Amino acid sequence: MARLVVEGLCKGWDFPVIDDLSFTVEEGEFFVVVGPSGIGKTTLLRLIAGLETPDRGRIDAGAREITKVPPYRRRVAMTFESYALYSHLSVYENIASPLRARKVDRATRDRQVHDVAQLLRIDHLLSRKPGEISGGQKQRTALGRTLVADPDIFLLDEPISHLDAKIRHELRSQFHTLEDLRRVATVYVTHDYAEALSLGDRIGVMGNGGKLVQIGQPRDLFERPATLTVAEHLGQPTINVIAAELAEDEGNLIVRAREGNLRFKVADRHKQVLKDLKTRELTLGLRPQHVRPLENGGAATSIAANVDIFEPLGSMGIMIADTGGVRITALTHPEKHYGSGEQVTLAVEEDRLHYFDAETGRNLIEAG
Amino acid sequence: MAHVALKNVNKIYGSGTRAVHAVQDLNLDVESGEFVALLGPSGCGKTSTLRMIVGLESISSGDIFFDDRRVSDLEPQDRNVAMAFETYALYPNFTVWENLAFPLEVRGVSEVEQRQRANEIAELLHITPILDQYPPNLSGGQQQRVSLGRALIRDPSVFILDEVMSHLDAHLKFQMLFDLKRLHRDLKRTMVYVTHDQVEALALADRVAVMSNAVLQQVGDRNTLYNRPANVFVADFIGEPPTNFFTVEPAQNGDSIKMIVTNADLTFALTEQTAAAVKVHGGNRFTVGIRPQNLHLDDKGDLQAEVLINEYLGERSILSVANSQAKFRALVSPDVTAGPHSSVRFSYDPADVLVFDEKTEALIV
Amino acid sequence: MVASDALSPPKAVEVTLADRWRYVRYLFIAFLALWLLFTLFPLYFMAITAFKSAAETNLTIPTFWPREWFPSNFAGVFAEPTNFDALIDSFIIASCNTMLALVLGSLAGYAFARFPRQAGGENLAFWILSNRMFPPVAILVPMFFLFDNTPWGTDSHLSLIILYLVFNLPLATWLMMVFFREAPRELEEAAYLDGWTPFKAFIKVTLPLVLPGMISVAMLCWIFAWNEYLFANLFVGTAVRTYTIVIPTFTHGSQTLWNLQMAFSLIAMIPPVTLFILLRRYMVRGLSLGVVKG
Repeated sequence: MARLVVEGLCKGWDFPVIDDLSFTVEEGEFFVVVGPSGIGKTTLLRLIAGLETPDRGRIDAGAREITKVPPYRRRVAMTFESYALYSHLSVYENIASPLRARKVDRATRDRQVHDVAQLLRIDHLLSRKPGEISGGQKQRTALGRTLVADPDIFLLDEPISHLDAKIRHELRSQFHTLEDLRRVATVYVTHDYAEALSLGDRIGVMGNGGKLVQIGQPRDLFERPATLTVAEHLGQPTINVIAAELAEDEGNLIVRAREGNLRFKVADRHKQVLKDLKTRELTLGLRPQHVRPLENGGAATSIAANVDIFEPLGSMGIMIADTGGVRITALTHPEKHYGSGEQVTLAVEEDRLHYFDAETGRNLIEAG
Repeated sequence: MAHVALKNVNKIYGSGTRAVHAVQDLNLDVESGEFVALLGPSGCGKTSTLRMIVGLESISSGDIFFDDRRVSDLEPQDRNVAMAFETYALYPNFTVWENLAFPLEVRGVSEVEQRQRANEIAELLHITPILDQYPPNLSGGQQQRVSLGRALIRDPSVFILDEVMSHLDAHLKFQMLFDLKRLHRDLKRTMVYVTHDQVEALALADRVAVMSNAVLQQVGDRNTLYNRPANVFVADFIGEPPTNFFTVEPAQNGDSIKMIVTNADLTFALTEQTAAAVKVHGGNRFTVGIRPQNLHLDDKGDLQAEVLINEYLGERSILSVANSQAKFRALVSPDVTAGPHSSVRFSYDPADVLVFDEKTEALIV
Repeated sequence: MVASDALSPPKAVEVTLADRWRYVRYLFIAFLALWLLFTLFPLYFMAITAFKSAAETNLTIPTFWPREWFPSNFAGVFAEPTNFDALIDSFIIASCNTMLALVLGSLAGYAFARFPRQAGGENLAFWILSNRMFPPVAILVPMFFLFDNTPWGTDSHLSLIILYLVFNLPLATWLMMVFFREAPRELEEAAYLDGWTPFKAFIKVTLPLVLPGMISVAMLCWIFAWNEYLFANLFVGTAVRTYTIVIPTFTHGSQTLWNLQMAFSLIAMIPPVTLFILLRRYMVRGLSLGVVKG
C-alpha cells in the first residue's frame, strides 16, 4: 500500500510524448487520466509500470523510488488494452500467474483465484482457454489477474472501452464497488470522458504535447473547465464554441456572436471579471444541456432558430439548430420529434455560460 | 434506389447434428430510400443477414428481392450493391482520389466524369483537402470517410454499411453520425446499416431491426423500441443504461392491479389499459420493466431506495440504488448530489411500466 | 410484394452461367488428378521395386507390378549388421543437431526480434541467413581440413553435428526471429508485471506461444540433417556411418542392387514420416500463430 508520486516525468522518441508530468495519487485514490487516443496515456502507464524508461523525472511508490526498478520488482499490476491474456493457459492459470510468480502455496493460490473469480463472476470459466470466452469475460479475467496480484499500484489501460454498452455499465459499477481497487493507488486511463467522470475520484485531462491540462474532481472539471480544450473534451455532444465579443446594451453588459445575431445577457456572477477585461473579444462556451427548446416560445431571452437536424438517441435527443449564422447543438427530450427546417425557440441558461480567452483558450472566469 | 425485401430467409451453417441456424425465418422490408439499421449483439445473425443481401453468402432457404428482381442466386457483382466495410478496406497504394474513382474505372467511366464524381463525393464528405494523400497517412476518421465515399460514388440499388464506426473515437463517431444522417437526407438512398451499437442505430435509422439468437425480435423506430419493446430482450438491449427489471406478483385491488416486487418493498401501479391486458393474460408471476429515465426523483414518490453509487456523467447522473434485494438504476439531473447510503424516493408514470410474461418474456399489452 | 412469375427469365441466364463454371471445375479436377499421379508415381515405383528380385529390377522394359514378391529384401539389407547402426548414427546426429539449432536459434532469434539494435540489427540477421544460401560444395574441402585439425577429427558424431549447424542454425535463427516478432510483446510485459523475471517470462509465456513454429523449424532441421549426403560422404567412414552413405553400397560387382537400395530407403523413410505424422497437428498451427484478440 502506497501513494504514487510522479515528478517531472519526460519521455519522447522523435517528439515529446510525455512532457514534464507531475501528479500524486493517494493511497486508495482512483485517478483517471482522460484524453483523445494517441496522446500518450498508455505511454504514461508503461512508464509507471517500468515497461519504458523515462528520459527524465522520477516515480515514487510510497517511500521507495522505483524509477529504475525493473517491472517484475515494482509491485505494480496493470491491465492492457488488448487484455494480454496468455492464450495457451486456462483462465485459472492466467489469474494465478502473479501468485505463481510469488510462489504462493497451492492452497492459498486456489482460494485467492476462486475468490476473485467469484467476485468477477467468471468462476464457471476457470478451466476454459481465453480463446473460448467472450470479450467481457476476457476483460474480467485480465482484471482478475491484476486483482490477485495484491500490488501497491493498479494501472488500468482502457479496460472497458471496447465492450458493449450493457457490459460497460456493469463493469463500471464493479469498478465502483471493488474494494481492492479502492484500497490502493489506481491510475485508470481512458478516452471516454463519461467513464472518467463516473469513476474518477480525481481526473487529469491530458492534452496535446503530453501535458496534464487540468487535474480536479469530476464536477470541477465539467462545470469549471480550466481551458477550452478541457471543455471540448468532456461532454457529448461537444460544447458549442462561439466566437463572441462583449458589448453594452442599454447599460447592460451583453455578449454577442461575432457573426449572426446571437446575443446573451451576461449573468451577474460573471460581470465583475468580464468588465475588467482589456479585450472585448472572447470565446463563448455553451453546453448543449444548457440550451433547450421552449414548448410555447416567447420568453424574454429566447432565441429563434431553424432545426437543421435532429437525432433521437437513447435517453436524450440532439438537435442542431441554425440561429442565423451560428449553429447551436441542444440536448432535448428524445420523444418529441423535430423535423428539418422546423422553427423553434431556444432558451439558454445564461449563468452557465463559459467564457474563454480568444487566444489562449484559458477560462476567464474560473481561472480568475 | 431499390426496395429490398427478405422473405422467410434462413441461413444454416453445417449440417446434421452440428448444423447452426444463424438466421431464422427472417422477413424484412426496406422501403426505397429508407435507412434501416440491423442491430444486435455479436453472434445474433446480423452479419450473416448482411452477407446474404450482398451475395457473399448463399441463402439456405427463402428469397431476397431488390424491387421486383429476385437476386437470391446472383453473384455479388451482379446485384449492384455497394458496401462500406468495418476495416475500411482501402487500397493503400492508391491515393484517396484513385480509391474513390476505382469503382468507376472498373465500370469504364470516362476519366473526366470520374474526376467530377470524385470531387462531388469528396465535397460531400469533407475530404477534398486530402484527395492526393495515401490512406496509410490518414487518421481513422478520414479513412472511414474515404471508404464511405468509395461506396457512395456508384449508383447502386442499396448501400450496405457494416459496423463502419466501430473503430472511431467517441467524438469522431458523434460527428460522423451527423454527417451520415445529412448524407442520407440529401442522397435519399436505400441504406442498410449493421451495428452492435444502439446509439448509432437509433440516431441514424428510420427504423431499427433488432436481432438476437438468429431471430428478428422487433422492427421499429426509437419510440416504439423504447416505449413498446416486444419482449424482455429488446427492453434490456435497447436503452442506456438498460431497463430495470423486477419479478412481481399481481395483487388485485378492486378494479386496479398492483404489481408487488417479490424481493423488495416496492409496488408498481399499472394503467387501466395494462391492468386489463394483464387480467386477460392471466398468471401469478410477471416481469416488470421500467426505464431508468422514467424514474423521477420525487420526495413524495412511491418507490423508496438507498443510493449505492452516484455516477456523475456531466450531462446527467446515474443513480444505482437498492431496496432490500432489488437493485436498479435511475437517470437524474447532474445537479443531484445524493451520495451513497442516502435515502431517495422516485415517482413514475404508470404508463411507463412495462409488463412481460415471466416465461415467454413477451410484452403484455 | 413481388409476383413470383417475375422470376423465370433471369433463371434461364443463371443456368448457363452455372454450367460454364461446372466445366471449368471438371477441367481443374482432371488437371489435379494428373498432377497427383505424376507426384505419387516415384513413390509407388520405389515401393514396388523394394519387393522385386534383383533380376526383375534390371529388365529393359520395367514392370509396374512385381512378378514375384520378395519381402526378404528387407531382411537382406541388414545382412551387414553395421547397416542398422548407420540408421542409429543418422538419428543421433540429426536429433542432436536439431536440438542445438533450436536452442541457439531460439535465443538468437529472440534477441534479434526483441532487441534488434543491441543484437546487431536487421543487416546482421540477414547476413546470418545468407550463410544458408551459398552452395555447400564451396566449403566442402575447407571444412574437411578445418575439422581434421580438431581433437575429435572428421569421423565422429560431433563433427557432423557441428557441421550441420552451419546450415541449420541460420535457418532456425531467422525463422524463430520471425515467430518471436509475431508473438505479442504485451504478453511478456504482462508476465513481468505478474512478477516473472525476463528469463522466466520467456520460458513460461513466449516459448509456448512460438512452440508450433518451433516444431516446424525442428522438422525442417531434422530432415535436412537426416538426409544430408554430400558432407557425410566425405567426412565419415569407419567410426561413424550415416544411412545416406550406406545406400550406394548395395551393389554386386558392377551391378546396382536397386531392390535393396529401395528397401533400405523405405526403412529410412519411416522415422521422418512418423515424426511428421505425430507433429503434423502442431506444424499446421505454426502457420497461424495463436494470439487472443479482443
